[in-house]
Amino acid sequence: MQKQLLIIPQAILITISCLKPQPVSEAAVVRDYSLLVHASYLQARKDAQAMQKSVSDFLAAPGDAGLKSARDSWIKARVSYSQTEAFRFYGGPIDRPKSQGKEEGPEALLNSWPVNESYIDYVKGNPGAGIINDPRIQINATTLTGKNQQKDEADVATGFHAIEFLLWGQDFNPAGPGDRPVSDYTTKSNHERRKQYLRVTTDMVVTQLRSLEEDWAPGKENNYAAEFQKLNSKVALGHILTGLVTLAGFELASERTATALKSGDQEDEQSCFSDNTHNDFINNIQGILNVYEGRVGDYSGIGLDAWIKSASPEMADQILEALRSTKDKAISLPVPVDSILASPKNSDSRQKLESLSHALAQDAKLFQKAGILLGVDARLIAE
Amino acid sequence: MVMCKGFPIVLVLLSLSECRRARDPGLQYSGGETTVFVTSSLAFSSPAANLDVDKMPAFTFGNRVFNTNWVTAPSSTKNFDGLGPFFNRVSCSSCHLLDGRGQPPETPKDTMDSMLVRVSLPGESEVGGPRPHPIYGDQINDRAILGVKPEGRITVRYVEIAGNYPDGKHYDLRRPVYSFRLNYGDAPGILFSPRVAPAIHGLGLLEAIPEAAILAIARLQASSGIQGKPNYVFNALTGGKSLGRFGWKANVPTLRQQNAGAALGDIGLTSEIFPRENITAIQKDNKALASVAGLGGDSVDLKTEFLDDLTFYTQTLGVPARRNHKDPEIRKGEQIFSQIGCSGCHVPTFETGEHPAGIKEVSHQVVHPYTDLLLHDMGSDLADGRPDFQASGSEWRTPPLWGIGLVEAVNRHTTLLHDGRARNLEEAILWHGGQAARAREAFKNMSEKERTLLLRFLKSL
Repeated sequence: MQKQLLIIPQAILITISCLKPQPVSEAAVVRDYSLLVHASYLQARKDAQAMQKSVSDFLAAPGDAGLKSARDSWIKARVSYSQTEAFRFYGGPIDRPKSQGKEEGPEALLNSWPVNESYIDYVKGNPGAGIINDPRIQINATTLTGKNQQKDEADVATGFHAIEFLLWGQDFNPAGPGDRPVSDYTTKSNHERRKQYLRVTTDMVVTQLRSLEEDWAPGKENNYAAEFQKLNSKVALGHILTGLVTLAGFELASERTATALKSGDQEDEQSCFSDNTHNDFINNIQGILNVYEGRVGDYSGIGLDAWIKSASPEMADQILEALRSTKDKAISLPVPVDSILASPKNSDSRQKLESLSHALAQDAKLFQKAGILLGVDARLIAE
Repeated sequence: MVMCKGFPIVLVLLSLSECRRARDPGLQYSGGETTVFVTSSLAFSSPAANLDVDKMPAFTFGNRVFNTNWVTAPSSTKNFDGLGPFFNRVSCSSCHLLDGRGQPPETPKDTMDSMLVRVSLPGESEVGGPRPHPIYGDQINDRAILGVKPEGRITVRYVEIAGNYPDGKHYDLRRPVYSFRLNYGDAPGILFSPRVAPAIHGLGLLEAIPEAAILAIARLQASSGIQGKPNYVFNALTGGKSLGRFGWKANVPTLRQQNAGAALGDIGLTSEIFPRENITAIQKDNKALASVAGLGGDSVDLKTEFLDDLTFYTQTLGVPARRNHKDPEIRKGEQIFSQIGCSGCHVPTFETGEHPAGIKEVSHQVVHPYTDLLLHDMGSDLADGRPDFQASGSEWRTPPLWGIGLVEAVNRHTTLLHDGRARNLEEAILWHGGQAARAREAFKNMSEKERTLLLRFLKSL
């Protein structure tokens, strides 16, 4: 008899706790976010290493198959990299400002765009252009780092889009990507320098991602992950939200969509050489969803949703639904994105991109609201 | 301590037609709620802190236009071509680097990279402004598109002037001397005015200061010997005259007109406000130019939507916050600033009204620009001898001082005044003449310690 009596209250307790949102400690959210970021950079580093291997194989014996393989590996590496952009904008390891004893974060070296192609290599109408065709310039990591955006933001020398330009070349085709020939790496003037440039820039990406991975590694005493755990939890949560608000509300809604729509200029399309921009959008949004749901790849932990749910289940659901809807919009964009930009003013495809842009701004607003509700400073940092 | 006929800090709170009372976030918030807390090289480049997320696309695209390197037409980037035929730089950002302040060449070998030279002949244009030179118009363009010779080149050298404070301390000033090499014929009797690019933060706030508030200051000043005067200038939209607010002599009434005028005069871009290419009748005889003049036809180089967003961008840049405003030494410096009369023209505080284009972020803000937007005679040493609407050859608009302490962080120099002759704040003060001579003398007569306090205050802005 006793046993039965015990069981019933337990059942009631379990039922009640399933109905009521579990209180989630802010420290737990911060801790698990840290683990998620580490898992994300780890994956990005692995994919960059795969890209490095493909590029290396291609350079050892340049041919069409090798070039295709290198291109595919770049596209694959972009999937995990784009998801890490949700960790930008609060001065974490990716974009910490330069200070005593610490170098500036590697974001500008990793992902700057648009790229002034003639700064790196030949372009249509200027066959001798660029660092590659200037034998006075040494092609190594130190030099290229110094040359990156030296006098002009568009004079990009390193990073994913420099590599992209080296793999695809200029894109003159509104219906497809750039079409750089393999001969650029075999017989074209300065082909050895071009190979070196591709090699060095690819190696740099791996090095930078590895260092980000280490900055966020758990169980260390002196890295950023350790510092991040020690922050006042409201400050840390403010950072987390600031990353999401700014990525959605500024970088995506404005820089990467609205601006491109308004200018109609291919230069405003992020991955303009490879025509991979639609995947950038999808994966940027996925990155936000990862933080929200607390999972990426094999990693699963407490996400922002649990924390927001404990204050307002309605808001938590609203955010999830909004993010999923935004992701759907990105998935159903006509491709390639430059065909959207080239299409006439009120076309269907333009409206789709405008709708995506608008949705991203609204997502940012929802996160701002969540911040206010939870007493956390979620800012939109624009430059 | 020098006690002059000090001008009290005037707090103007005119709520004329506005029913709202503005919130005052405090002295640290130079730009009211638009204030951004940035002290890096991006101090002038951030959007207003209170900018609505929904307006980010307009701001961001305006920034994109501001940074655009325009190219010669025809080109594959057809939305961003139409450069020239004459220009000074190919983008707004080239002169207003990081939305900041330009500087003069340091030696005769250096080009003018963020500075230009306005020209004219004595007399007035048909709208009452400077009379354009028949060959060179109202500005020398030192660059041109391929196949066209630039209008000319101007170089600068400096004459050092040594001086001593009454307490014996030494100072140096430098006076610029200009040489012209003109490519389309001599220009005897031409008037000229060298002008560096001013920083562009806070302009929407200045645009929203009620005219009545500015005129009220002028009336107050009339009784104290400073006599600032408004400049009524040509308004391209109405065809009539409006209060000028922008430019070294307050010669432009609205930001939209300022941007369109600069686009044409500095980059060679036509727009709906100024649809004709910037070529004088005499230069049209040049064959290369004649073909360029024909291009464009009905459409303008700078599309109206682009001009709209560019203008919105210039209206909604945030103002950087003051640093260390509570520091007792800086407070002391601010008191001295008021006591010797600086704040008479560099008016510390205004309350903006409803912005003319309804931009709520800059409306009803309590702001601290340290300017009265009025013209003042600054003496013969600073005069350019070139009248501009109602500004005489020795009158200049009081420039705003907000952000002045951050120019070094943004643009890596500390030159000041319209031609950048002052190498720092101290020299800028020493050049003050005319209506400002008394305040300048008070500065010179102060103790070294007091001068230092005043300079520290200015650097905190």
